Amino acid sequence: MSQPEKPGRPDGGSDIVWSILGTLVAGVLAWGGIGWLLDRWLGTSYLVAVGILVGAAGAFYLIIRRYGSG
Amino acid sequence: MTALVLREGFHAPGINELRWPNLVDLHLFGVDLGINRVVLQMFLVVLVTWGLFFLAFRTPRLVPAGLQNVMESVVDFIRTQIVLENIGPEGLRFLPYLTTLFVFIFLGNLGGVLPLIAFPLNSRMAMPTIMAICSLLLFISVGIAQQGFFRYFRTALFPPGVPWPIYILLTPIELVSTFIVRPVTLAIRLLANMIAGHLILSVFFVATGYMLASKNISTLFGVGSLVFSVALVAFELFVAGLQAYVFTILSAVYIAGALEPEH
Repeated sequence: MSQPEKPGRPDGGSDIVWSILGTLVAGVLAWGGIGWLLDRWLGTSYLVAVGILVGAAGAFYLIIRRYGSG
Repeated sequence: MTALVLREGFHAPGINELRWPNLVDLHLFGVDLGINRVVLQMFLVVLVTWGLFFLAFRTPRLVPAGLQNVMESVVDFIRTQIVLENIGPEGLRFLPYLTTLFVFIFLGNLGGVLPLIAFPLNSRMAMPTIMAICSLLLFISVGIAQQGFFRYFRTALFPPGVPWPIYILLTPIELVSTFIVRPVTLAIRLLANMIAGHLILSVFFVATGYMLASKNISTLFGVGSLVFSVALVAFELFVAGLQAYVFTILSAVYIAGALEPEH
């Protein structure tokens, strides 16, 4: 099989797509979970929403840092 | 049979299509170790995976022919498209694991479109879970062996080049993303694809039979549904290969990430 010197990704870089999706899910899960635990501990009910937003923001920050320049 | 189907009315296949009763009951320390159809199919797939490689490479020839040719192209595909592409030459020591993973998952998925078997092995949670745990343990061990315990977890949990207060925000995300979301998505992607494929095929074949037997206007739709069923079998064959490929390539990407920390 003849290959060009830098073969194009046959999967269209699907691992990057999954990595971005995974980071987003992880951000929401991690900080949403922390917010939920704080809610249970403090008896409040809004920290889970704050946590989800913080987690999404953190995930965006990570994704932009990692893939933004390239 | 036809009369029976018509009298009973149409029952859409549901999630019960994935449940099989125990053929042999076996309980050990309160754990159900009974053997059902899925377990038998798993043994069969293990045997076929082993047998394919054994028969192909038992008496290897310089100019491969027949089965050796097929299996060599499978190994070569994993070698060039997955290992060299994603890990590089130092990843070749993982070629046996990744090739076995690919062939085992593919043959397990293939059961879903084979007549007489008609059940995808990986539509039961235990199968993808165990394989995802294997890949998780493998890339963690590779990272620890390559970089040392503390350095691996430091680079995995504290991405370099950000001011330290940001770590409070990022470290929980990295922890969940690397050690929980990775194996969970690996397993669920395979599982969900196989469950969905099996249910679609079941619904189409049962409905085709029902409509063809109904002897009214529905018979006309039954013909269309039959054509579509055949197309769906071809599609599921494609999905069987694709999901085996995705599982393998993502395992390779995770190993690559553990070998060289991001810059």
